[in-house]
Amino acid sequence: MSGFDHDVVIVGSGPSGIAAATALWRAGIKDIVIYEREDQIGGIPRHTHHPSFGLLVFKRPMTGPKFIRALVRRCPDVRFETNTTVTALGLGGELEIATVSGTRTIRARHIILATGAREAPRHARLVPGLRPQGIMTTGALQQFIYSSKLRPFERPVIVGTELVSFSALWTLRHAGIKPAAMIEENSRITAYRPAALFARLLGVPIHDNAKITNIDEIETLKQITIDTASRESMIIPCDGLIFSGSFVGENSIAAASHLTLNPRSRIPQVDQNWITSDPAVSAIGNAIHPADMGDQCYLEGLKTGAYVAKLLAGKLAPAAEFMRIQHNAGIKMTTPSIVRLEKTGETRFDLAFHVTDAFNGTVRVSQGKDVLYHKTRHCLPTRRIMLKNIRLQSCTADKDQPVSVLLMG
Amino acid sequence: MEPDFTEKDKSSTRQRDRWDVIVIGGGVVGCAITRRFALAGAKTLLLERGKDILSGASKANSAILHTGFDAPPGSLELACMQAGYREYLEIHKHMNLPVLKTGALVVAWNEEQLAQLDGIVDKAHENGITDTVQISRNDLVKREPGLSNMALGAVEVPREYVIDPWSAPLAYLKQAVRAGADYKFSTEVTSGEFDGEFWHLGTGRGQFSGRLVINCTGNNGDNIEQICRPPTFEIRPRKGQFLVYDKSANALINSIILPVPTSITKGVVLTKTVFGNLLLGPTAEEQADRNVARVDREMLEGLIKSGNAMLPGLCEHAVTATYAGLRPATQFKDYQIDAEAGKNWIGVNGIRSTGLTASLGIAAHVERLGSETYPGLIAFKSGPVAEWPVMPMLAEHEKRAYQLGDGTEIVCHCEHVTRAEILAALEGEVPAGDLGGLRRRTRVMMGRCNGFYCSAKVAELTRGKLAPPMATDTEGQL
Repeated sequence: MSGFDHDVVIVGSGPSGIAAATALWRAGIKDIVIYEREDQIGGIPRHTHHPSFGLLVFKRPMTGPKFIRALVRRCPDVRFETNTTVTALGLGGELEIATVSGTRTIRARHIILATGAREAPRHARLVPGLRPQGIMTTGALQQFIYSSKLRPFERPVIVGTELVSFSALWTLRHAGIKPAAMIEENSRITAYRPAALFARLLGVPIHDNAKITNIDEIETLKQITIDTASRESMIIPCDGLIFSGSFVGENSIAAASHLTLNPRSRIPQVDQNWITSDPAVSAIGNAIHPADMGDQCYLEGLKTGAYVAKLLAGKLAPAAEFMRIQHNAGIKMTTPSIVRLEKTGETRFDLAFHVTDAFNGTVRVSQGKDVLYHKTRHCLPTRRIMLKNIRLQSCTADKDQPVSVLLMG
Repeated sequence: MEPDFTEKDKSSTRQRDRWDVIVIGGGVVGCAITRRFALAGAKTLLLERGKDILSGASKANSAILHTGFDAPPGSLELACMQAGYREYLEIHKHMNLPVLKTGALVVAWNEEQLAQLDGIVDKAHENGITDTVQISRNDLVKREPGLSNMALGAVEVPREYVIDPWSAPLAYLKQAVRAGADYKFSTEVTSGEFDGEFWHLGTGRGQFSGRLVINCTGNNGDNIEQICRPPTFEIRPRKGQFLVYDKSANALINSIILPVPTSITKGVVLTKTVFGNLLLGPTAEEQADRNVARVDREMLEGLIKSGNAMLPGLCEHAVTATYAGLRPATQFKDYQIDAEAGKNWIGVNGIRSTGLTASLGIAAHVERLGSETYPGLIAFKSGPVAEWPVMPMLAEHEKRAYQLGDGTEIVCHCEHVTRAEILAALEGEVPAGDLGGLRRRTRVMMGRCNGFYCSAKVAELTRGKLAPPMATDTEGQL
């Protein structure tokens, strides 16, 4: 093991990172370190104080911080290093890390990127208007209210109606802040319909088919203008604006590295075992499928950790072939985005994806002439759609053809 | 130099508060002029109506250090640009200011533009930029393989560079303060009277008196001129919208990609920033409003379209920031800089998009103009050489604080800004006056997440130090 500082370095201490460490530890790989760039571990759940965690893992609802504490109890000896930022990923298991004393290079036999996701902010959405203070995302809001005990505004507008948008509503309610409105670009809310009831109970109007056309004023936020389907335009006085949802993977380390990225999404390419184009690097969690539930990320992390343990023990057959997975418009991304084929026999894998818009119809997975999956599914955006046990026959597959995932009208 | 107004305001009528020079406007030109006069020994005061320097036109530009290759030959603009360019390269190392030596390519996208390249080379040579050469389509492809195959050829201008547009003017003002200058923010000049010896300028924060007034108010230039004389020009603000792409897009180009210019605008530019992003813009839109520069979706989408047409790989990359700036253009092409004889007033107006490059040259020109027009007005003295302020290095191609290790953790993860860097920007000679000022001084919250990860921490660190504050305490309320 000479030349390596650790067996495995995990980048990010959210549910998937903790899970990978837990599984590795259980499999006997003990020289693990989890780097966390924040001063606290836990990723997004550490500042998400509503009970949307724990149902799959612990069979009961828990808040984010409680969920993280419970997960850490399952791997009490794993080493976390906070305030440690990975600034570059190189070949051969090399990482550049920054701590309070500067940057240095370390090497690991295997690296697991579990860098999470964040919400698309105002500028990436090309929202028109001025740039006053008071514009943020739900993630930032939660940190203001719960972590810093600070109140950034008194009457904000929430942009979006995903589950996380109602988390913003929950957070505001906790601080005694009443939002002026929620606005949604589409004709129906993105979260499950009953969520709208929560807003209604709090007396917060939801404007659908609404688009921001202006933000005023220069220094302090005074009002926004929206276009709605029913009315030409409408001014909403407010002193804050929360852009919620529209998660994107935090893949800046991968994007600046040698890893192959999927075209357009720029998410690192991974196979069904979460191995990237570099066999010494895995990528897992919401960085590659922004964004699933914390519990789902945890369960995925456990599988990854177990796989990496086998890989490091030399228990896996090398030199497999790979097959691309392609998808049509309407699908945001698939996980995996490439399939590692067993040399002989059957390759089995689960295939998850997200849709860009609500879809009710047939989902078909095919490879060459073979149909691997064909079922009617009801797919909503921001939810993970899981196709279990896709089977590919290595001997009969036409290796030049990709696996193709289609939404059929 | 704490911006403590109450104490100073009370004593403003006393002799010690009479200034040799009052500079109105803390844009890049005002900062450079304040530095120049302070270094020459004049007792100099800078008045800025915003909460920090660079609150107007100077905060939004393309950050290019121009050679002047395409400036009108014989113009004052060209002379100031070239003097400013030279001085910047002489002094930048003393102040730890970066230069990213990219060079520029003026790219022809059609036959008509291709035919203009000869003329561009000739003009560059006439302007003394003799290393400007035309390059073939093949050479262009070799240098910029990311460009669309619509590119037909280019003119190479090797010494067009990229600089830090916010640290440079701040460094100028810091050095001025070290040489004895003072400044007041949130101080808008609304009136003025000349008593034959002193100007007495009225502001919302009391009266300030000085022998010589220099108007550097950019988009407000003609209004401020009215205090002294009827302006001979009219400010016609020209809005420019920009897109900043994620650092992942930075490697798509090697040089600054300039379009073949028209008489109105330099056109849409693709350039790296010293911070490691890729910048696309500006648009050129005439508007009446002098203060408000909005971004609008249609224009941004138009910019994206033209960016993708020039650089097809760009379409995969995310936008980190959008912004709009107002360039203080006038009906004239050249700068409008002149001294009013007998009135101790110099107008520095119409400094459109080339102000960042030209500022140091403009400052030298204005000092000359002042001493020629008003001989003996200011007793310039050669005091001790002012210390160079050493600026925090924010350029991606240089060593940053987080790499060297300053004993504190990274707070802003997108831009790798440490806690010590943030705290330092809130103190010292010219502390950040508002959040924008802090962002420009440190890069904090300027990255791809727009503050998702760090804004609450920044709000904690800036508690009680910024106006308006980022948040109020909830302690005791929850």
